[in-house]
Amino acid sequence: MYEAFAVAIVVFLTVGGQELLGFTMLGRPIVIGPLIGLLLGDVKTGLMIGASLETIFMGIVNIGGASAAEPGLASALAVAFAIIMHGGLGVALPLAIPLGIIGLQIKTLIYVVIVGPFASKFDSMAAKGNQKGIVRLHFGLWALQWFIYSLIPFFAMLFGSEATQAVLKMIPNIIVHGLSVAGNVLPAVGMAMLMKILWDKNISAFYFLGFLMVAYLKMPLIAVAVMGAIIAIIVAQRDYQLHNLSQKVSSKQVATQAAPTTETKDEQENDDFFD
Amino acid sequence: MSKISKDMTKDEKKLTRQMFWRSFTLYSAVTPAKQGASGFEYSMLPFINKFYKKEQDKKDAMVRQMSYFNTNLAMAPFVMGVTASMEKQNSENDDFNAESINAIKTSLMGPLAGIGDSIFWGVLRVIAAGIAISLAKTGNIAAPFVFLLLFNIPVQLVRWYGGQLGYTLGSNYIGELYEKGLINILTKAASIVGLMMVGAMTSNMVKFDLKWNMVMGGKTILKSQQMLDQIFVGILPLSITLLCFWLLKKKNVSINWLILGTIVIAVVLALLGIV
Repeated sequence: MYEAFAVAIVVFLTVGGQELLGFTMLGRPIVIGPLIGLLLGDVKTGLMIGASLETIFMGIVNIGGASAAEPGLASALAVAFAIIMHGGLGVALPLAIPLGIIGLQIKTLIYVVIVGPFASKFDSMAAKGNQKGIVRLHFGLWALQWFIYSLIPFFAMLFGSEATQAVLKMIPNIIVHGLSVAGNVLPAVGMAMLMKILWDKNISAFYFLGFLMVAYLKMPLIAVAVMGAIIAIIVAQRDYQLHNLSQKVSSKQVATQAAPTTETKDEQENDDFFD
Repeated sequence: MSKISKDMTKDEKKLTRQMFWRSFTLYSAVTPAKQGASGFEYSMLPFINKFYKKEQDKKDAMVRQMSYFNTNLAMAPFVMGVTASMEKQNSENDDFNAESINAIKTSLMGPLAGIGDSIFWGVLRVIAAGIAISLAKTGNIAAPFVFLLLFNIPVQLVRWYGGQLGYTLGSNYIGELYEKGLINILTKAASIVGLMMVGAMTSNMVKFDLKWNMVMGGKTILKSQQMLDQIFVGILPLSITLLCFWLLKKKNVSINWLILGTIVIAVVLALLGIV
């Protein structure tokens, strides 16, 4: 009973909480893992599995409300089960992946069926100038939808623990090993999804540079980030100069008098930017 | 940075501060039809109450601000600031075209969502998570805090100053910023850092080692993993990641199929004793 409450409250406060405190990343596995670990008395396992799930769900981003899975519910339940059963990533992974997909479907269902119909209510309140009503509904809907969502981990923990344990025991060791292997390869999918956002032919060489810096030079990630920032600044400076140059050339072609004004304006802006 | 707010009155500073706090809840009651409309309205209410004296004008503004809104959360206060400054103009000039407010709002949210998503989801979160994961793997309990701070300090600064910037600049300036092409330079620079980090993490996090060795007459004559390492360290994780990227981008394979396929292949390879 305590475990069920703990997991449900964590889901409510992190997955729901990040909708109230928007874009704070509270609902990511790296945060939820250790938090569940803390409440269930095994911070270390929570931290380790949270970190592994973060790499796997790294590519799962919520862009424009569209996503491929809901990592929060998946992480909370997978970490909780792994701690209760004294298992590692081999236990957490086969649970986390399907739970992430189911979680997203339920989240979408609540969003469409429960919150969706209130869109017109908001409109009529705005037309009447009912500000108090809008504020109340705005927060009321938040509390309602995440309360419903948190019921899933609550009942999953209450009834699912033993059933899950029984099913997991039936899985032979060699398959558990295969699942661990899968857990180590799956970050590739996450990386691929990030590459889909960032990849551009002109800068694709930097991907391989980053790879080499770790594979051969064994640099820590923070050093790669700083190095990347330095390269980015140099490239941006050059782009900016080129940009000014081309603007000067084109403005000279159009009207010779227009050139000096654009130049001073650019310079002013440059000063503002770096102050 | 203090320059941004130097032209603002005390009242206006207070209003943008209220907007900053309220804008956290942008997606608290997100609906399929209008996305963050209620959160946008909630953030604009202090301005509406301040600028408009007549009840009917207030209601008109409330209806106007209850329209579809969807953008990246880090960028939202900037749009709100621009919108608020236009509402102020509208309250002062009788011949101001109120419809232009929603036109500007709508034209801003698309491009800003694109920039915000790639910079904050694609680059900043990836760097923060990458560093936190490597900390967590060494058992360092600071990992979740490092993750939240690395992500949130820049994001909240952008939200805070973005709101003030949007309000002081108003709508006139933004077109100029686009025309100057500075946004493209910024996006490219950020993508370079992001792509380097993704390359580094491909090496750091995607793990795939072959266990299969060629044995002849009781002697191991070929260790497959050793041989591959001599050719190029991490050639398998790199190839797998590039394959996933290719499948995602060119073949439009869905993420869930990719995840499922990876798991199945890993388990089959484990059963065959290759990994």
